[in-house]
Amino acid sequence: MSRLLSPAPVARVAVLRLVVYLFVPVDVLLTTTWVRGHAQVPPELYVPLRIGRLLPLPTPGPWVEVFQVLLVAAALAAAVAAARDALPRLTGWLVALLYLEWMVVAMSYGKVDHDRFAFLVALFVLPSVGRASLRSRERSEAAGWALTMIALAVVATYTLAAVAKIRFGGWDWVDGATLTRAVLRRSTALSEPLLDVPWVLHAAQYGILVMELVVAPLLLVRWRDERVTWLLALGFLGFHLMTFAMITIVFLPHCVALLALLPLERLVQRERVPA
Amino acid sequence: MSDAPRLDGVLSAAGRHVRVAVTLVVALLTLAGTLVGQDDDFPFGPFRMYSTRDDPNGTVVSTRVEAVTRDGRVLVVDERATGLKRAEVEGQVGRFRADPTLLRHLADASARLRPAEPPYDQVRVVERRYVLRDSRPTGEQTEQVVASWSRP
Repeated sequence: MSRLLSPAPVARVAVLRLVVYLFVPVDVLLTTTWVRGHAQVPPELYVPLRIGRLLPLPTPGPWVEVFQVLLVAAALAAAVAAARDALPRLTGWLVALLYLEWMVVAMSYGKVDHDRFAFLVALFVLPSVGRASLRSRERSEAAGWALTMIALAVVATYTLAAVAKIRFGGWDWVDGATLTRAVLRRSTALSEPLLDVPWVLHAAQYGILVMELVVAPLLLVRWRDERVTWLLALGFLGFHLMTFAMITIVFLPHCVALLALLPLERLVQRERVPA
Repeated sequence: MSDAPRLDGVLSAAGRHVRVAVTLVVALLTLAGTLVGQDDDFPFGPFRMYSTRDDPNGTVVSTRVEAVTRDGRVLVVDERATGLKRAEVEGQVGRFRADPTLLRHLADASARLRPAEPPYDQVRVVERRYVLRDSRPTGEQTEQVVASWSRP
């Protein structure tokens, strides 16, 4: 439990806020454009999730297009607030709630993705730190908790994805043809030749499961040598890049959350010349 | 409350308790979602993309939506035209099979998303099955229209 609240650099929270809030418009307007399309889908094809049945959330319709503008505006306002170190809770939690609803609109038509769990966690925990200046040199327990929660969510996305494979695919998931299916359905120039060398895809399934189950938890270790964390984080970012090259699926919001593991504060802390 | 001066960066007792409680609740919901939950439990459902197993000697299904426009063209349409992604059509394919008239709504969505384009007079869901042997496509494929709607 002490690890959960051990102090971390406040400036890292400040930088991460900027990155996260500036990423929201990119996500909403450029990289996940299909959500907006649900505005024009008749309500008969809306399949509300449990959260949509428990809460009085409106059935998506043309209002979604207005909502998109609101979400982008709220995210930009939160980014400005983060840069000026003002109103972090109000602006941050507003974005978190709006983005969650945006996700409900996204996932309520028959397909649920799991590439945004850590990003959602980041949106909800970052405001809890309160004020965090980009120039801060302090460490705080509040920052430590927020960053640890994001790290846990990133790792859980991998390890629990492995558990889901065992649950739904069985222990012999690794010896199935899941990646063959993935490539058959979404092949790129890079991945299509692999259909003729099935042992590569077969081996990749072992690689994926080991990576998710065994390597991902290593992200949580506080290494004596910081280069190990860099290597691991860059390794996972590389994995997502490769997945994109192979089947054009990219866990972009997840990759943004993954940045919480890196010493982002160095981007804003220039070396000080000792007096 | 103690009278000791508060150190910078140290949380109050209440602040600690709330955070520990939130951590436990989120962890429990996420674990429960993975072990017994379903997609319906978003955002705490299982992280199940690509979690199902495909038989190396079975078939792999790839679904597409085709539309026949008023001017007689046959188009393969995606979410940019109908608002629904392929995976979403697959997620609801049971509903489309049971009641193909639901496909009318894809035509309606298309008319709204692309008002300048000719309307759809027919919408159909086509499943292509690739036959695998030892995880390798044999080249054998079959296609089947699993749901179809025509404008009356």
